[in-house]
Amino acid sequence: MTRQTQDKDMRITPQDLRRRGVREILDKIRRADGYYVTNTERDLSQSDFKNRIMPHTQLLVAPQRNDAGFFSLEITGGASVHVDMLRKQMSPLEKLEVLSANMPDTLFQTLCRGVNLFGYRPYPDNVIRLTVRSFARWVHVWRVFDFLNHIPNMVSVFEEVREAGAILEPSICFSTGPEHTDAYYVRKVGEILEVTGEDILLCIKNHGGLGTPRRIGALVGAIRERYPELVIHYHGHNTDGADLGRIVAAVKNGAKIIDASDHALTGFYGPPPLLTAVDILRDEGHEAVGLNRQAVIDASNLLRGEREHYRDFESQFLGFDPTAQIHKLPGGATGSSFEQAVKGGFLHRMPHILQRELPLVHTELGNWWSVTPGSQILWTTAVNNVLKGARYRDANDDLKNLMLGRYGDFPFHRPADSIYEAVFGKDWKTILERDGGYQRIEDIDIAVERKVLEHRIGRPATDDELVLYLQHPNDAVNFFKFEAKYGKTWVLSPDIWFRKGGYGLGDKFEIPDAFGRLHAIEIGPQRRTKTGDAVTYLVIDHHPEQILTEMEAEGAQVKKKVTFTPREIEALAKTGDIRSQIIGTVSEVPVAEGEEVSAGQVLIVLEAMKMLNNVVAGISGRVAEILVAPGDRVEVGDPLLLVRSE
Amino acid sequence: MKEKAIRKILIANRGEIALRILRTVKELGKGAVVVYEKPDSEAYYIRLADTAILIGEGPRCDYLDIERIIWAARKSGADAIHPGYGFLAENADFSEACENAGLIFIGPPPGVIRDLGNKVVARRIAAQAGIDTIPGTGDLPRGEDGVAAALKFGLEHGYPIMLKASSGGGGRGIRKVVSEKDLLVQLPLARQETLSAFNDENIYVEKCVESPRHVEIQILADRHGRIMHLGSRDCSIQRRHQKLLEIAPANLPADVLEAMYAAAIAAARQAGYVNAGTVEFLVDAHSHAFWFMEMNTRLQVEHTVTEELTGVDIVREQIRIAEGQVLDIPRERIHLMGKAVQVRINAEDPKNNFMPEGGKQVEVYQSPGGPGVRLDGVVYQGYRVPTEYDSLMVKMTIRGYNWEQTIQRLKRALQGFLIVGPATTVPFYLAICDEPDFQAECFDTGYLDTHQDIFLYPEQEREVAKLAKLIAEIHARKVNPFAY
Repeated sequence: MTRQTQDKDMRITPQDLRRRGVREILDKIRRADGYYVTNTERDLSQSDFKNRIMPHTQLLVAPQRNDAGFFSLEITGGASVHVDMLRKQMSPLEKLEVLSANMPDTLFQTLCRGVNLFGYRPYPDNVIRLTVRSFARWVHVWRVFDFLNHIPNMVSVFEEVREAGAILEPSICFSTGPEHTDAYYVRKVGEILEVTGEDILLCIKNHGGLGTPRRIGALVGAIRERYPELVIHYHGHNTDGADLGRIVAAVKNGAKIIDASDHALTGFYGPPPLLTAVDILRDEGHEAVGLNRQAVIDASNLLRGEREHYRDFESQFLGFDPTAQIHKLPGGATGSSFEQAVKGGFLHRMPHILQRELPLVHTELGNWWSVTPGSQILWTTAVNNVLKGARYRDANDDLKNLMLGRYGDFPFHRPADSIYEAVFGKDWKTILERDGGYQRIEDIDIAVERKVLEHRIGRPATDDELVLYLQHPNDAVNFFKFEAKYGKTWVLSPDIWFRKGGYGLGDKFEIPDAFGRLHAIEIGPQRRTKTGDAVTYLVIDHHPEQILTEMEAEGAQVKKKVTFTPREIEALAKTGDIRSQIIGTVSEVPVAEGEEVSAGQVLIVLEAMKMLNNVVAGISGRVAEILVAPGDRVEVGDPLLLVRSE
Repeated sequence: MKEKAIRKILIANRGEIALRILRTVKELGKGAVVVYEKPDSEAYYIRLADTAILIGEGPRCDYLDIERIIWAARKSGADAIHPGYGFLAENADFSEACENAGLIFIGPPPGVIRDLGNKVVARRIAAQAGIDTIPGTGDLPRGEDGVAAALKFGLEHGYPIMLKASSGGGGRGIRKVVSEKDLLVQLPLARQETLSAFNDENIYVEKCVESPRHVEIQILADRHGRIMHLGSRDCSIQRRHQKLLEIAPANLPADVLEAMYAAAIAAARQAGYVNAGTVEFLVDAHSHAFWFMEMNTRLQVEHTVTEELTGVDIVREQIRIAEGQVLDIPRERIHLMGKAVQVRINAEDPKNNFMPEGGKQVEVYQSPGGPGVRLDGVVYQGYRVPTEYDSLMVKMTIRGYNWEQTIQRLKRALQGFLIVGPATTVPFYLAICDEPDFQAECFDTGYLDTHQDIFLYPEQEREVAKLAKLIAEIHARKVNPFAY
């Protein structure tokens, strides 16, 4: 057997998973003479591009990535589900559907925050289960974690992933410090295996890029020693520039899957370049199984040209940050913390916040794992402590809930009493007694939620829309409204989507639509209306059209013309508010004010197009007011007459 | 009778039919004069005329003002008037006024219009020509006697019955009555409606043939006693007695059609008919028995299907007949093979009872072309759908080798329309194209009532328009507010 065909054989595909099941796939990974590579695009996008890598770019390189022979493409989860709707204006589920159609041979992977799903706070159990079932249609590998490594927070997701026939990858979040010993982590792995059984991948989740290569090597070795059959997937960030070393150490000690990404997109806080890891490891005698090296290069060749469109979303602060070992912020939060510092005007205090206060807060609060949502709690607390000059004052609810044990047990130690007192006041003991304890979120009535959603969007909702709504209700509704107005804009290239300063007069470009048609757009002149709105002339498919953009002027009243649909007019008629269904002329008013009328009786005769139309009473009652007279012209929705039921 | 060449024709109409007539007038190298009411100042047809004369503030009164029109003809030096359809087209007084003013009226003489315009007289003429008519009354007396007469007719012939305006036409002034109680409600309404629409409150009652087919024969008659037919049209697909879609020829056995041709010519001869006219029949969908309904003394909206089928320009023949020329089209040149269908692209919302979209602006207008497609339209990008007049934007007539090709072509051509702004009948016609009974060429006047599913068509979404809206917004705001 040639190396090539063996490689092809050793590749793991969705078809393979469907046919053979999780257990056999895991066996295949165990038996493989080498290791597998996951392309962690989602984490790269989140850490180095504020989650903005657009579907257009992903589709552009879909053929190359599909040929690359990755173990998986991590393409959803984390904050991306929210950002897909909030800033990319795309359904995260539709994204998966479209991409999977274009990458049929590649497993898709997600990062799920256990009970927090893809959000920041715990969700009701029935929402968790519904969500996992929905995403599992497209997602084959489920990395699941909890910021306290609290296993009960992950159990529902575990069960649903199993049920869906997908590969479960529970994580142990990794950090450093005196408590973070091999013995602790090996014990944690044992606890997970007790819940899940052996048919899992185990993720060592090093979101902060912490520890040295030696430290990671030792941890992998220790777990492998206790559980030699366990397939270990090492995930790290390159914040300090040393993740390649950690990857090499992990593989040399028996890790079977590593995380890295396309070199053309690598930055400072996300995953390191995939090909570099592969080349170093080859020299160390470890082969990347199934990997098509040329396809990886081809993908990056294409991505290089795209990167310039994302420049606005790269961190303002370039360069590796070895102090990550001190502040321990996850790679996904590093860029955004600097962004907040700039916006909040405390950039000059960042060294103090990151290198003094944050490590102190981290230790004081229990030295658990700085990852969502814990990392936000640590970061916010540290910033507050510094900016307010008084520590642990005005704590937010998330910190309070954490300290009350609602998110789970503290893994090592509880914060000191003095911190409880600072947060909850003198009565902190009573409060802790009364309100403390693990919090289970009650199931919600999903049928009711659907009704609320449908009311908000004014039409029936699809199952997918319901799932998205349950994640982030307001942002989902805004997205649905956006899509109704602007269509499926994910087809647009980042050059169009992120364009600043407008387009040039006479600029011509082709855009596809989501239904496979190609359109030609030419930018024409623009003018302002008297009310300050913009009118843009576009030549669409060779025909000129003018498009109005309502520009809300500062302080100006939002002008709103009331219009009624026929259904609304009928509904109003049932309340006695009789309005015109047509544009016409009042021909006759056969009733008088004060007259008793019965439902069905003719109230007004309208003439339109030389036809006489009877307007009849929707209810019985007394004519309270007649608002029109014969000869009046009426528009659709104009009030004609009021009937008051006695 | 001696021939008199017409030099300049005044078109006493508006909209698409003014343009239609104007096109033939130009082909004949004659002068074309149009008139318009103020609300029509932006109308397309007046741009194409040699002379356009403002006849008043309107709406819908100056087009009906015989004196104004005669004045405009004198002023412009026109020597003939074509009335189009609607307005003064079937007004005997107008035809007479033209004669008195020394103007050639391109249509039948006043006496013929007067006779045939009265449904009761028309039915008598048909009967004299030996053609079956639907049982009916004469003009109902006013007041209680009329009510009593109608009730008596209903009792004799059974319900439903039809209330018809004696001066009605074009599907207007017709009401179906299902019971005695209904009759008492509708009779006064019908009287009032017919008075305001036709300035004549006479109505009569007719037996209602349930779900019949509506088939009409186009005829031409010259001043020399020659009468010929141009085949049939099926106009069964209607809503509220207004035609929506017309087909030539009607899908009937040859012997039935031949009998109808003969009846139509006999009726025209009996009436002393001159110029183009249409004899309308009700046809029993099963037995193919037919009854004379009425004769229209004008050019019809749907004349285009006959033109496309036969190759005869009816307006051209109307002018030649009016000039006193001999109708000399050889019978063998009249092509009656294949199919033609006309649809009316109206600015109306079929889902909302075909409510006109008056006042709306046509933001985008793109129309189809290619084989077998004829457009008679007045719409353009920026066109405002008038609230003062009808909502017809463009008539599309499709010609095909057979029914199957014709509806395939119709569908293809309908898909070629892009009209943004008002709701239109385009998606409604597209839904009809996909309906199996229509595809099987099987329909009667009850078609819409029995095929309500047609109205469930999806709203036409235009994805690129949505994307363009965003691109315009990014351009206007200099940044994409939804991305940052």
